[in-house]
Amino acid sequence: MLTLIRRELLDNLMTFRFAAAVFITMLLVVANTVVLIRNYEQRLESYNTAVKTHQQKVRGTKTYSAGDVVVDRAPNPLSIFNVGLDKRLGNQVAIHHGFVPTLWDAETHGSDTTFLNIFFAIDIVFVFEVVLSLMALLFAYDAIAGEHESGTLRLLLTHPVRRSHILLSKYMSAMVCLLIPLLMSLSLAIILLTGTGSIFLKTADFLRIGGIVFSSVAYMSVFYLIGLLISAVVRRTGTALMVSMFVWGFLVLVYPNVILAALEPLHDSEPRAKSVFSQIQQMWEEFDTEHKAFLINDPVPGESTSFGIGWVGYNFKRFREDSRTLRYYYKAGAHFDEIDERSQPKVPYAQNYYRFLVPLTISTAERTWLVRNQGLKDIFVQPAKIDRTLLKLSPVGIYDAATQAWAGTDLLSIQDFFDAARQYRQTVIDYFYDKEVFESRQWFSADKGAADWRTLPQFSFQRSDIKINAKRALPDLFLLLITNVVLFIIIFLIFIKNEV
Amino acid sequence: MWHIAKRELSDNLNSLRFALATVLLLGLMLTNAVVHLREHPERVQQYRERVSGHQNHIAAHASNGLYDLAQEGPGYLYKKPSNLRFCAEGSETFMSDRAQAGYHRWSTDTLKSFWILAYPSATPNRDNVRPEVTKVDWGFIIGYVLSLVALLFTFDSISGERERGTLRLTLSNAIPRHTVLIGKFLGAFISVSIPFILGVLVNLLVISTSSDVHLDAEAWGRLGIIFFIAVLYTCLFLALGMLVSARVQRSAVSLVVLLLVWVVFVVFMPSTLASIAGRSTSSGPTYDFSERSWKLHEELSSDYYANYDEGPEGSTKRIEIDGAYVTKDAEQQEQLHEERLNRRIAEVHRARAITRLSPVTIVQNLIESFAGTGFERHLQFLENVKTYAREFRTFIVDTDNADPESLHIFGVRTGMSQEPVSPEAVPKFEDTLNLSKDFNTAATELLLLTLFVLVLLSGAYLAFVRVEV
Repeated sequence: MLTLIRRELLDNLMTFRFAAAVFITMLLVVANTVVLIRNYEQRLESYNTAVKTHQQKVRGTKTYSAGDVVVDRAPNPLSIFNVGLDKRLGNQVAIHHGFVPTLWDAETHGSDTTFLNIFFAIDIVFVFEVVLSLMALLFAYDAIAGEHESGTLRLLLTHPVRRSHILLSKYMSAMVCLLIPLLMSLSLAIILLTGTGSIFLKTADFLRIGGIVFSSVAYMSVFYLIGLLISAVVRRTGTALMVSMFVWGFLVLVYPNVILAALEPLHDSEPRAKSVFSQIQQMWEEFDTEHKAFLINDPVPGESTSFGIGWVGYNFKRFREDSRTLRYYYKAGAHFDEIDERSQPKVPYAQNYYRFLVPLTISTAERTWLVRNQGLKDIFVQPAKIDRTLLKLSPVGIYDAATQAWAGTDLLSIQDFFDAARQYRQTVIDYFYDKEVFESRQWFSADKGAADWRTLPQFSFQRSDIKINAKRALPDLFLLLITNVVLFIIIFLIFIKNEV
Repeated sequence: MWHIAKRELSDNLNSLRFALATVLLLGLMLTNAVVHLREHPERVQQYRERVSGHQNHIAAHASNGLYDLAQEGPGYLYKKPSNLRFCAEGSETFMSDRAQAGYHRWSTDTLKSFWILAYPSATPNRDNVRPEVTKVDWGFIIGYVLSLVALLFTFDSISGERERGTLRLTLSNAIPRHTVLIGKFLGAFISVSIPFILGVLVNLLVISTSSDVHLDAEAWGRLGIIFFIAVLYTCLFLALGMLVSARVQRSAVSLVVLLLVWVVFVVFMPSTLASIAGRSTSSGPTYDFSERSWKLHEELSSDYYANYDEGPEGSTKRIEIDGAYVTKDAEQQEQLHEERLNRRIAEVHRARAITRLSPVTIVQNLIESFAGTGFERHLQFLENVKTYAREFRTFIVDTDNADPESLHIFGVRTGMSQEPVSPEAVPKFEDTLNLSKDFNTAATELLLLTLFVLVLLSGAYLAFVRVEV
């Protein structure tokens, strides 16, 4: 068996296609890594500036209700491998008591290059998706058919070797040959990554990269086995090559793009969005009625929320609604720089008002969140899941999903950030309750001492643990491995029964 | 020569690759047509609704008087969807379908900001969590699939015959080599064209028989040009295939070389080059812009408040100061937006100039400009929007001038004509497509593509003439 492997290995290593494979993979990976690293650095810089700007802005606000706490999502360094949703989705979101933030409320800070999106962005996994699969097929198409044509297969079988050994040795030697360009280009990419000052990879990150490499090998192997299968069935190199190329074109180029376009009408979510949104509006209307009732029943006549206080500053009531993303954003408050001396006795009325208003806003926001969360899941997440599943009928889709999970740029990992943001919102609210901020004078007025933001808990977000990444990637990885095994068994059966 | 072409053709027609290519192209073209028929009527409907919404908006403000009209502006202006969008919609999803002519920026107790032209900066794709795929349009089918098919048809056209020895046989007859080459080229060309033409016919048949989509004479002319571009592009890859096939001894090696060239030039070059070009010229972050906009406004308003006491309440002087403040602010902000837009456009122009090295970008740009979609079309739309904005403002000034009682001071209600405005007289926005303009921008790219084809063809000729059999 070892002799067989050595023979195959020598055969493969000396070929032009091997040299070409190594050269092209390295060229593409290095060129793209350089671009991707620069892009990452830019995003990181913009993130740092955004964090600083947002902090300064909050600290500069003198009243609590007018403060805009904004949290930012840092770019993921592993997005260089598979960018996933990391770049596309919003990366800053406002934290506010009257609104539970989700992924669909996030905005984008950072480079303002709207039109440049028309150029397709690529990552290392995309390079592998295209090049590795092509290489694997080019190595496989003549593995059996070629030997069959040249007659060496017959010669080989006259020796007392088992057919399974021949097959295994072919598989192993080809995989070794294919691994060389993969590993070489990846190590170059990692050297480039660690060579820059801006990217720090932790041990867990290296493990994640290891997961990506493993998925890549499994993916490559699937395509090699597909090629081998074609080679075993067709038995003529010319035909095998043609079939392989068309299969490649179909699986990599055509299928992923066609399937989603063709099955679009499955997702008609408009009625659902409408019903959920009207439910949310209903809740806010209830809020409004209660609010009005309070203003009418309080000791100050009229419905004014200034309670006849003479002030310098501004009063605000912002609310934005968007029925498509089921957003209903409500933020009301005031920012008084000065309060008229004569109005001082009226200030407790305002304090009392906010003591009533803020908890009501919070509870309404939370009630609407329960409805909205389910609605968003049905309208946005569910179709995305169906799409992902459909894409997985091609190995490309499985590979993409697995590497996204490893890199932490898939939907679940991005949602982790927004979970953390929601948690942070809760922390901020608890902190405000503890310090009795809502009923304090500083909530709306800065005339006697400004708001103190220094002890506000800081937001921090750790990307999910490697174990969670692994758990998310495992189903897809498993799928790839199963495909491998099934293909291998089929090839084996065909090869055993083949007449030479 | 015809004899050779015929022989090639009959060889190809019976081959597996011909059958596979036919199935593939037919399937893709059919999908494209079906998707277009599903999406286009909705798009047109939406556009109509939006246009009537725009007109209602104008009418509503016109009935409130000239000041309201001048202050609010015409509202959203929408881009008319092209009826040839199935040819190229790839980049269309990344471009905004509207411009914003007037939105609320600020107001004080007595004053309101005037409208300005602004261009949405948000990517329309931001809350889309679905996996991103390339749209299956003609640009994709021609640019990627057809080019691959062309290579698969030619990689063994010379090296294959040499391997089998039939080349020697052919050349032993009294036929000049260039005749053999041209014959082979024609044969391959016709055999690639047949599946493609079939696909195109099926596609157009499905689309034109539907009552929802109407293609007029001009659209058919544009389709003809797009078809011609596709043919030229196919020739490019056929010539490339022949060149490599003539230079390389074995057809397997020839295919490997061709596939690698294809992968590099077609799949990777456009995006990699674009990101290199884009990164090196990237304009500042978004908050820089809002910061600058805010600062400009702040400076202006502090100036205004500093001179606030010069004009007593109700006097003409007061109106003049107020009007100057409002109009100056609108001017400044609009200029800022304009600058940002120009910077972005310049970025794309640079990126596109570099990506022209890849034939697939050239072809996609060309198809886009003839289908009336994509970036060039977006520029045309922006041009239309600007023209309309000028028209709208001229209308306001003229109407105001026609009223002798008006003070002719813009920006303040009391400074402007109080006469009612007839909603019919207000100019309406009509987005148009213009072919002659398209052709100008496309001419250079067309030339470049032709040049590529000629270079590769002569390369193939030289290689074949020198080849030893």
